[in-house]
Amino acid sequence: MLKKSRNLRSMLYFVGPALLFYTLFMLIPTIGGMFYSITDWNGLNRNYSFVGFANFVEALTDDPDFINALLFTLKYVVVMVILQNVLALLLAVFIESRTRFKGFFRTIFFMPNMISLIISAFMWTFVFTQVLPQLAEKTALLFLDQSWIGDPKFSFFSIVIVSLWNGVGYMMIIYLAGLQGVPQSLKEAAVIDGANPVQTFRHITLPMISHAITICFFLTLNGAFKVFEVVFGLTGGGPGRSTQVITMNIYEEAFSNNFRYGYASAKSVILFIIILLVTLIQIRVTKRNEVEA
Amino acid sequence: MKSSKLSSTIILIVLIIGAALAFFPIYMAIINSFKTQGEIFKNILSLPTQLHFENYSQAFAKIHLFNSVKNSVIVSVVGIGGILLFASMAGYKLSRTPGKLSSALFFLFIASMLVPFHSIMISLSRVTRTLDVQGSVFGLGLIYIGLGVNMAVFLYHGFVKGIPKELEESAHMDGCGEFQTFFRIILPLLLPITVTIGILDFLWIWNDFLLPLLMLTDVNKYTLILSTNMLFGEYNKEWSLILAALVLTAIPVVIIYAFFQRFIMEGITEGAVKG
Repeated sequence: MLKKSRNLRSMLYFVGPALLFYTLFMLIPTIGGMFYSITDWNGLNRNYSFVGFANFVEALTDDPDFINALLFTLKYVVVMVILQNVLALLLAVFIESRTRFKGFFRTIFFMPNMISLIISAFMWTFVFTQVLPQLAEKTALLFLDQSWIGDPKFSFFSIVIVSLWNGVGYMMIIYLAGLQGVPQSLKEAAVIDGANPVQTFRHITLPMISHAITICFFLTLNGAFKVFEVVFGLTGGGPGRSTQVITMNIYEEAFSNNFRYGYASAKSVILFIIILLVTLIQIRVTKRNEVEA
Repeated sequence: MKSSKLSSTIILIVLIIGAALAFFPIYMAIINSFKTQGEIFKNILSLPTQLHFENYSQAFAKIHLFNSVKNSVIVSVVGIGGILLFASMAGYKLSRTPGKLSSALFFLFIASMLVPFHSIMISLSRVTRTLDVQGSVFGLGLIYIGLGVNMAVFLYHGFVKGIPKELEESAHMDGCGEFQTFFRIILPLLLPITVTIGILDFLWIWNDFLLPLLMLTDVNKYTLILSTNMLFGEYNKEWSLILAALVLTAIPVVIIYAFFQRFIMEGITEGAVKG
């Protein structure tokens, strides 16, 4: 009995502090968000009542702005997951194939990742609105003179470009580490057996880095759904709401529009469910294709 | 052999073009930050004819550089310090204790790892108002502890499994208490994973935007990123000033990058593989 209470006390001393902060700032807000999602709380009023699933029904059937933000985000996620991984893997393979200047290229391609997303977005706003138009004027590259931020047709690409610029380096580092784990002997054996570089890459390298692929898909997928800063800094969701993403729609609903906290909470629960489902499916699928090294 | 030489040259060219594109926005920001507004509109691509440092002195004052950096440092130190200390203790204890309570607590910590910040920010803003930590730089650091311990507990928990138990047993024989054993013997052994977590959390907290935006309203308490965001909104189109501020904001991280590049890259790989 005495031993048990002593064990409990030492558990409390060691785990207690972490648990306290975690409960206050993570657990309670998570549960709170789910709780408010079935209320009509407006943030200012102390009183609120339960409305069941009315918020969810409204978000999914009667809120074109939310649906548009959802579709815009999905489009962004698909494009980002593909391009970010393809580019990062390509860069990693190219850099790894070199004998000299490896470190130099790694440093340059990773550097944008150090700069905060919102600062990146401001820097690119300068490039899109000032540099490219002048560049088009002075050279013959007239296609550069577009309304990169003002025209929704192009601003999608601007958002993708800035996100890639910032994010590819991070994935490249993970792929580089994966590539370094591929045994040289395997590749040599494949070459001796008459495999060309593409075949070697397809049948030796790719399976050997399948764990890195799982991780990078997870990170890019997860990150892309949560995109906020780039859009906030570049277009602010505009013109109109044409480039609004889900996170921004939630932010606007809760903090800058009508303070419908309950309704905004329901939207945030929808976002969480989508991320949860998609990542669980992704991990199942890519894990199944993993090869034991 | 000839074709492999050719393809190696093509790869080199692709890499050089890619590197030039990656560096282009930074280069543009730097060279134009030394020009006057008129020079930017005339010759955006050329090097400045004369270095206008007054852009920098102006930006320096407008973003309250010293004060903003001080605030960012306080938030990072409180947040990272708290995460490392509390999560290492919890991760160690939970990893070493068998039983239902221990596994239930561990599960409780990692259950939230997929919850996006945007799903908690609304009720978090209410909780922090109730607890009166909103609007304070120190309080913001405390919030980061709560948001960051789940991942850190998870990583420490896994790392502790690789440390032999005999060390603690012999320390116990020598009459070391549990706390002494942890701080004198275990904590130093956790250094590799501590560096990893510290770096990942630094990059996250220092560069974070949305949480400070929601929590801080007083300009004197703004972090570096928030001050620059405010300047961007206020001096719209005054590019000479804005670019100088952007460069100033990027300098601290670039310095840290230059010194810790190897650790940062190792930290990312370690964190990714374990996570």
